[in-house]
Formats: sequence, C-alpha cells, structure tokens
Amino acid sequence: MAGGKLRIGRKARASTIIEVLVSMIIIMVVFGVAMMIFANVTRSGGSELKVRSAAVLHEVLLEDEKAAEVSARTFNLDSLRIEQQVKNYNGDGSLQEVDLAAYDPNGQKTAEAHQIIPGK
Amino acid sequence: MVIIIALVIGVLCSSLIVAGYYYRLQYQKMQRYQLLQRNAGSAVNLLLAGQDSTYTHPETFSLFHLDQDSVCVQTIPWGIYTIGVAKALIQRDTLYRIFAMAQAVDSSKWAAIYQADSARPLALSGNTSITGDVFISPAGVNQAYVNNQAYTGDKVLIKGKIHASEKTLPALMAGPMAALQSFMQQDRGNISGGFKSDSIQHSFLLPSLIFNFGHAIATLSDIKLSGNIILFSDTALTIDSTAVLRNVIVIARSITVHSGFHGNCQLFAQDTIGIQGNCRFGYPSCAAVLRFNKSGIVKTPAKVGLNKNTVFAGSVFVYEAEQSALKPVVHIGRQVKVSGQVYSPGYVELEDHAEIAGSVFTRGFLYQSSFTRYENYLINVTVSSKALSPYYLTPGLFPVAQKKHKVLQWLEAN
Repeated sequence: MAGGKLRIGRKARASTIIEVLVSMIIIMVVFGVAMMIFANVTRSGGSELKVRSAAVLHEVLLEDEKAAEVSARTFNLDSLRIEQQVKNYNGDGSLQEVDLAAYDPNGQKTAEAHQIIPGK
Repeated sequence: MVIIIALVIGVLCSSLIVAGYYYRLQYQKMQRYQLLQRNAGSAVNLLLAGQDSTYTHPETFSLFHLDQDSVCVQTIPWGIYTIGVAKALIQRDTLYRIFAMAQAVDSSKWAAIYQADSARPLALSGNTSITGDVFISPAGVNQAYVNNQAYTGDKVLIKGKIHASEKTLPALMAGPMAALQSFMQQDRGNISGGFKSDSIQHSFLLPSLIFNFGHAIATLSDIKLSGNIILFSDTALTIDSTAVLRNVIVIARSITVHSGFHGNCQLFAQDTIGIQGNCRFGYPSCAAVLRFNKSGIVKTPAKVGLNKNTVFAGSVFVYEAEQSALKPVVHIGRQVKVSGQVYSPGYVELEDHAEIAGSVFTRGFLYQSSFTRYENYLINVTVSSKALSPYYLTPGLFPVAQKKHKVLQWLEAN
C-alpha cells in the first residue's frame, strides 16, 4: 500500500493488482450474500406489520375466549382490518371455532389465526 | 493491508448475515410457539367440553384440517378426578398441558346441610352457626339444652333457606362411581420391593408408577412422592408425618395418617381411614372409604376419622354399594376444619368447634359426650356453605356437580 512521501530513487510500498482484485472479489461476494439474505429476511421474515398483526390477532382471541358472546364481525384495529368468522365446532354447541384474518391497508393478508373456544 | 480491510468488511457483513439469520430463526420460533400455544389451548377446551370417557386413549387429529394444527388429547381417570393431557404438535416441537378437571357446583342442589328425612327435627345447641341453604326433615329445626349447654348462637337458627329433604340421600352418581370402581380394581402389578429413591416425581405423560405392598404392613416415611404414582396395599398402610405426598393416590384396606402430615393426596380404603391430629391436607385431597362388594359380611362400620386441629381441603365421603347394618361414620374431631364436601350415607359425628366450610350430606348427625351419645344434635359447630371459595370445583361423583368441566389444577406444562 502506498505510504509516506514519494521520493525519486526509492521504491513506493503498494498492493499488487492481484491483492486488490482478491479483496474486491471478497467484498463483492460477501456483500452480495449479505444483501440476498437481508432481502430474504425482510421479505419472508417477520416484518413489523406481520409481527403486529399476529399480536393483534392473539389479543382478539384472548378477548373472545373471555367474552360472553362471540359472533362473526369485521372491524378495524391498529390500522388493520380484522375479519372474524365463528363456526360451531362439534355440532352440539359446546365448542366454537374462531377464525381470524388480518389485512393491511392495501388489502394484503398479513396474519391469520384459528382457535377453539368454549361455546357461549 | 487491502486484504486485511477486506477481511474486516467481510467479518462485519458476516455478522450482519448471522444477525439476520438469527432474527429470522427467532421470529419463526416465536410464531411456531404462538401457534402451538393456541392449538394446545384449543385441545384443552376440547377436553373440557368432552365427557370423561371421550378420550380414554390418546387421539391425534388435525384441529382445522390445515397444516401445523395437529393435537393429541387423552383423559386419564385419577381417583375422583380426571386428568386431561393436551399436546400440540408441529414437526418435532411439542407443547403439552396436563391438568386435573372437575365440575362447577350446581347452586340449585348445593346446600350447607342435606340431612335425609328421619321425621325428627334437627336440634342446635351451644354456639352453633349454620349459614347457607339446608335440606332437612319437615320436622324442622329447634334449639335444645343439651349436655348442660343452651343454644347461644344467632337468633336466626339457619341463615339461609330451609327445604324439605327426601327420605334418602341424593345418591352418588353411578357413572363416575363405576369409573372409580374400575380404577380401584386395576392391575396392581407385582409386589414392589420398595422405593429406589427418597424422592420420586413421575409425569402423567408416562404410564402410572405403581407400588404394590401386598399383604405386608407398610409405613411410608422419609419419602417424597409426587405425580402419577399409585400406592396399593392389601392390608393396613401408615403414612408418617415425614412423608410428603403430592397428587398421589393411596389405596389400602385401612389407612392411618400420623399426626403432623402435610400434603395433598387421595386416600381410598375399604375399612377405615384414621387421620391423626394437626394434619394439613391441601386442595384437592380426598379421604374415602369405598365398599363396592354387595355380599360381603362386614364386621366393622366404614369410618373416616379426622382428629383434632386437622385442616382438610377436599372431599370426605363413604360409599357402600349395599347398605350395611353397621352405619358408616365420618368423624370430624375437635377444631377440625373441612373445606369442601362431606358425604356419609350413615352418620357424621361432629365434636366441639368442628367447622365445615362447604357442605355436608348425611343421614344423621351424632354428638358424643362423656357419657351420652346424641343423635340429630349439632353442638358448638359451624357449617357454612358460603365460607367455601366461589372457585371451588366438585368431583363429578357428587350429586351437586354441573355437567361442565373446568380446570381444577394445572399439573405439568412445558
């Protein structure tokens, strides 16, 4: 690597072209892989919206289990649209299946959850 | 130098990759855990909604016919209660919840006292207090001067509604009693050599750990037993105060519990259960004398005795498939407190300052003074159905149980 003042008659210290190429290749490969993984994580992993949607649905299910009555409804919560479906699970009314789906403002489904709760 | 800088940048980028990968792994793990929790909760609700006999064998199925929603459920009879095992499965991950189930009390049938109609009034003496609805003979209730004591309690003899009782006690439920009988008569295995350790904890995920003492008179001492353990004896079994039992079942011809014992367990005997003084039985415990044989010649009356200063939380009862000439007796000693239910098709004998927080179903009451035995007298005792916790749950075999099951006790989870 170059260093100090360039004086005539003395050899300057520097990297060879091979060294520079190797280092650039390493940087490019590592950076490329890092970017691929980063893109993968942000796309398929827990984006903030997905995490929030899952948490909201979890809360709604907890409230449904305690509620005196549970029915099908659509409502907005925390900038998400929640669709709730309620079905009779085992025929005798002692159990109900609650199906929840959360949608973002663009109408994309961000999370869904299902649970069996005691019949009301 | 360039290579070194490149390597440093490479290391930094690698760190970013590892951090991203780890984040994603944790996110997926959290999502899977939440899903398992929801499925396990659904499985618990399935077990609570079913009958005790619905899932006697492990059943694995998909809850919603989707991916990643398999559960495995099973009920295990455990004395007068039922154990529910709920597992949620995703690939190699399993989340399990093990709990004891019991039933809520039917308030229309619940009573502080249910005394079968013997066409005689119930007499109160001393500082006696009865709170809650009662079912007694149409002859009613009155004050009495007994054993040199006048009635000194509240002017209102019974703080609750008075209903007329039937000539016979409401019977214990046939279905749960049949299940209890088959539980008692299960295969006891070979005679055990003894305990290999002084502390044994056995999971309900595994088959029951059975210790059979056969005809040897055994004493449990300096031992700690917990969980899915059943102790059998064909003769007398003694439980010392140094033994600690948690959720364990003891089945013997007769059982004696030494003074100072602390724990919670279910005791089932054929002849007698004697609990000495200063014992503490935590909820949910059970002490029951059960006689399922109809044609046996009985030489001694079935008896459950709780002695001085003992505190018992749970159920104390006697069952006889066929009424014997010698009436069974539940003896509740001086300053004994029972929080729960007492059921005797014979007599309940209450000593001074005995307290029942809950309910007592009996054919008649006894009071024994130094010289005289009084029948149908309550002297210096407290019976209050309102003193019992509103969260109390009753075993399904009592005639006051609702159909709906609830979680009595969480036993194991991961």
